[in-house]
Order: sequence, then structure tokens, then C-alpha cells
Amino acid sequence: MRTKALLLALIAYTTLLAQSIDSQKVITRSTMLGFGSTNILDTYLSAEHFKGSGLSFVTTIERQRPDRRWSTLTEHEANLSATKDRAKTQQELEGAYNFYWGKLYSWQLFDNSLKLQAGGLVNASLGFIYNTSNSNNPAQARAHLNIMPTGVATYKFNLWRKQFTARYEVALPLCGIMFSPNYGQSYYEIFSLGNYDHNVVPTTFISAPEWRQMLTLDVRLWKSGTLRVGYLGNMQQAKVNNLRQHVYTHRLLIGFTKQFSIIPCSL
Amino acid sequence: MKKYLVYLISLVLLVSCVDTQERDNTPTGNFEALWEIIDEHYCFFDYKQHEYGLDWNEVYNKYKVRVNDKMNEVQLFEVLKDMLAELRDGHVNLYTSYDMGRYWTWHEAYPQNYSDTLERRYLGTDYKISGGMSYRIFDDNIGYIRYESFQQPIGENGLDDALSYMSLCRGLIIDIRNNGGGNLTTAEMLAGRFVQEKTLVSHLQHKTGKGHNDFSPLEARYLEPSSKRRWHKPVCVLTNRSVFSAANDFAVIMHALPNVKLVGDRTGGGSGLPMSSSLPNGWSVRFSACPMYDRNKHHTEFGIDPDINVALTDEATAQGIDLIIEKARELLRN
Repeated sequence: MRTKALLLALIAYTTLLAQSIDSQKVITRSTMLGFGSTNILDTYLSAEHFKGSGLSFVTTIERQRPDRRWSTLTEHEANLSATKDRAKTQQELEGAYNFYWGKLYSWQLFDNSLKLQAGGLVNASLGFIYNTSNSNNPAQARAHLNIMPTGVATYKFNLWRKQFTARYEVALPLCGIMFSPNYGQSYYEIFSLGNYDHNVVPTTFISAPEWRQMLTLDVRLWKSGTLRVGYLGNMQQAKVNNLRQHVYTHRLLIGFTKQFSIIPCSL
Repeated sequence: MKKYLVYLISLVLLVSCVDTQERDNTPTGNFEALWEIIDEHYCFFDYKQHEYGLDWNEVYNKYKVRVNDKMNEVQLFEVLKDMLAELRDGHVNLYTSYDMGRYWTWHEAYPQNYSDTLERRYLGTDYKISGGMSYRIFDDNIGYIRYESFQQPIGENGLDDALSYMSLCRGLIIDIRNNGGGNLTTAEMLAGRFVQEKTLVSHLQHKTGKGHNDFSPLEARYLEPSSKRRWHKPVCVLTNRSVFSAANDFAVIMHALPNVKLVGDRTGGGSGLPMSSSLPNGWSVRFSACPMYDRNKHHTEFGIDPDINVALTDEATAQGIDLIIEKARELLRN
């Protein structure tokens, strides 16, 4: 009986070990803090452009099995900005959380030093723009869901006896849906009276030409840690219900990248 | 080939930018920006053209000649303020750090029909206060609620307590004279205590584009009866020319109810839900953006008439008598 149980445990162990080697995932995780400029236009709130600065917190997580060409990319981007009009008397505050998730197909070129990836991301975004001077239309709620074709190029090279990784990611708009009040519709009408008027709007790359690009450089400074510096430009725009809105954020990024593997059942 | 590629990329970038052309921050630029904001967003052009011949293009020509880039800020403000006054709208304002452009003729040109001395006399000193509401019971067993501003909120429990306190009264006076408005939801909450079934009270619409006639279809607005304590006996709502905006809306709603009479003077109006924007020089502008109508789809922008028109007189006021309150008491006693 005891021998039987031992045999079963051994079979289970070897099966799990075999599975774990097969399902090993390489995870590259970067956490970054960004600072830079913000430019806001929202004609529901004001005809004026508002410019200022803001902070962003960005994490990117890429999961890929070494023997497969498909990888999963997950990104979180939260930002907060304070902006003023050109007369410096009016203020708009902006905050947003963007979640990106998608799949990328990869090609290794030039002896694996260049990796090209192409695929698509789903972008879910929630945010607000708050105008501190307006009375009955003080804020604009922002919410959208986008499908974005995405390309990534990653190039590894050595310089000054250190390993560098340059990465460029660009995501372009394809289609989606977004929330918007109608041209002169008040939030009282939408939320207190429940009067719907094209408030959930289908969007395309023409009506919401959003694009996002991130250029980063990783420098491996020590064995388990890599410094990442870069630039993130997120151009979110929409032209729906005769309203125009854009939120441009440009951020200089600094953070760390860590690469590790998960072997779920290694005992 | 390279040239074409550059053209193509430039074209894609240009097409893909969602932007607007900003006016210059000069007196002329600010004038143009203000005229355009109103032209594209204001909601009563057609109605006011019909009422008194407002023509916004003519207004442009009339005031454009008064603006030049050598004028100072104060001079510009005077011109812009006068231009906005052509709209005859209490919801249209121009805000600077030193003044507020306004059109208040809708109440300044008429008798006030309200006296705070009389209010103190009628309320006495032992009245009760709940939120923005002061209330008491008169000697003839008529309940009296004074609601001075719908910017002051009121809670459901406060309303329950007030109506409970006055539940044995034979009628109720709600005095909203001089109430310049505030939150529509506060006015709705109060009105909901006097509705016994879902009632059509008004209509509203909003602009859907820049054209003067770009409007959504009219949406009916219903008032649901409150699930809390409700008032079933007769009510008189006291009004004057300073009843404006959300208070005007309250008067319109109450006017649609069977047990309610409006007593006093015509209301001031202000039936456009206001929105704001700003000019290149940082001044804020407020304007009516969504028109509201009564239950018969009539405009109430210039106010509504009371059921019983009563005015204060100097003689009665000197004797400490508020003729509007007294008329309401008389109606409720009989």
C-alpha cells in the first residue's frame, strides 16, 4: 500500500515537473514614474487650450514562453495633471487610468538581437477633466474602450561592457466606443433625468485618432536589476457629438525593469 | 518619392489632430471669441428673435465697431457686457476679477413685492429652521415655509419633520419670493412632496450642434411623488419678479399641480440651464444652453404669471401687512 502511494506520488511529481518546464513563462516587468507636460482641450468645458504638467505611473508586464511566438502584454497607466489657460486665470485638472491588454506575435531577427512584435491591445480608460471655474458644467467624465493595433521593436546591444535594450512601442487607433454628453447636453439631463442622446458613441481612427508611443532604454546595472529611462507620449483625442476633446501627455520616464521566470510546479 | 512620403505623413498628422483655432488674446480676439461662443451655444436665439427681434449677426455688426486693439481691459469689458445684455438673459454673465457683467432688468425694473422687514414680522422669532427652509404655523392655522434660495439644500428627514409639524394645518404657504435659484434637484425634492402621482411637469431639450436650430427632440419631464410624507391639502406658492432659474422651475412645476395656486407677481424666468466657457484673456462667460418649457411646451424664459396677481402697497407695508401673504391666507382659509 505504502509502495503504491509512493509510486503514485513519483508519477505525479514527474508529470508536474514535465509540465512546469513546458509552461515556463518569462515575465518582463517594468515600473516607471513619469513627469512631463499635458495639453488639454475640451470644448464642452471651454474653447481654450489648457497647458501644464503632470505625473504618470506606468507599469508594463510582458509574458512570453521562450518556445512560443505569442506574448501577452499588460500595461497600467495612471496620470494626474494640473493645467492653466494662457491667461493663467482658469484651471483644469485632469486624471485618468488607462488599462491595456493584448497579444503580440514576435519575429526574431539579426541573430536574436532585434525582436519585432505586432498585434493588438484593448484599451479601457476612465478619467475626468475638472474645470475649477465653470458652474453648471464643471467637469467632463471620460470613459472609452478601444482596440489598438500595436507594434513593438526591441533591440539588444552591448556598449561600454554593459547590456542595453532599446524598445519602441506604438499603438494606433482602430475602433472603439466612448462616453460623451451631446453638444449642449447637461449632466443633469443624462444622470438625473436619464435622457439618453448618443452618449455611448462608436468611434473609429477618424473620430478618435488616438495614438500612444513609448520609447525606452534599459541599462543593466546589476545582476538582478535594470534601470529604465524613456519617453511616453499618449495622444488621446475625440471628435464626437460636435464636441472636440484632446488630452496630450508627454512624459519622461524613469524606473526599473525586472525579468524573471515562473515555473509553477517546481518542487 | 521621399517628398510624397513627407506630404503623406504630414497629411495624416494634420487630419488626425483634433484641435481648434484659438483666437488672439487681443480686444478684437476676445470680442470674436465671445461672440462665437454665444453664437454656437446659446439656446434662445429663435425665441428671442420672435419676442423682441434679436438678431445676433446684427449685434455683431453693432458692437464690432466699438472694439479696437488699443482699448484697455475696462473699456473692453463695458463693450462685451453691453453686447451680452442684448440677450436679455439673467443666466448670461461675464466674470472678471473686478466685476460681473449682468442683465438684471427682469427684476430691477419692477416692484420688489417683498420686504424683509415684513418677513421678520411674519416669521417672528420662534420659527423653525431645517436646511434652507424656515417655517412656522400662523395663528389662523396656516403653515408657512420660507425658502430663500435653492442653493441651500434640504434633507428628506427635514422635509418629513416640517410637514409632520404642520400636518394639522388647513393649508400651506411656500414663500419663494427673491429665490434666485440653485439646485434643480432641491426644487424637485420639495415639489415631490406635493405630487400624488407621476405628473408631467415640463419639457426640456439641448443643443446638438452649432446651428441656432440644432436641438434634440423635446423630452418630457415627469415628477414622481415622494415615497416619504406628502402634502394633500391646498398650497399657495408666493412669487415675485426675483423668482429665477431653479425657483422659476419650481413655480412652473407647482403651477402644473391641481391643489396649488401661485400668488404674487410674475416670476423672473431664467429657463435655460446655464453652462460656462472662457475667453482668451481668462474671463469666464456663462450662458443659457438647454431650454426648459412648461408642461404645454411653452417657453418660461421670461417668467410665468401667477394665478392671483397681488402687489404690496406702501400703506399696507407701513402697517406691517404683507398683502401677498394675506391674500394667500385668505385663499387657504376659504
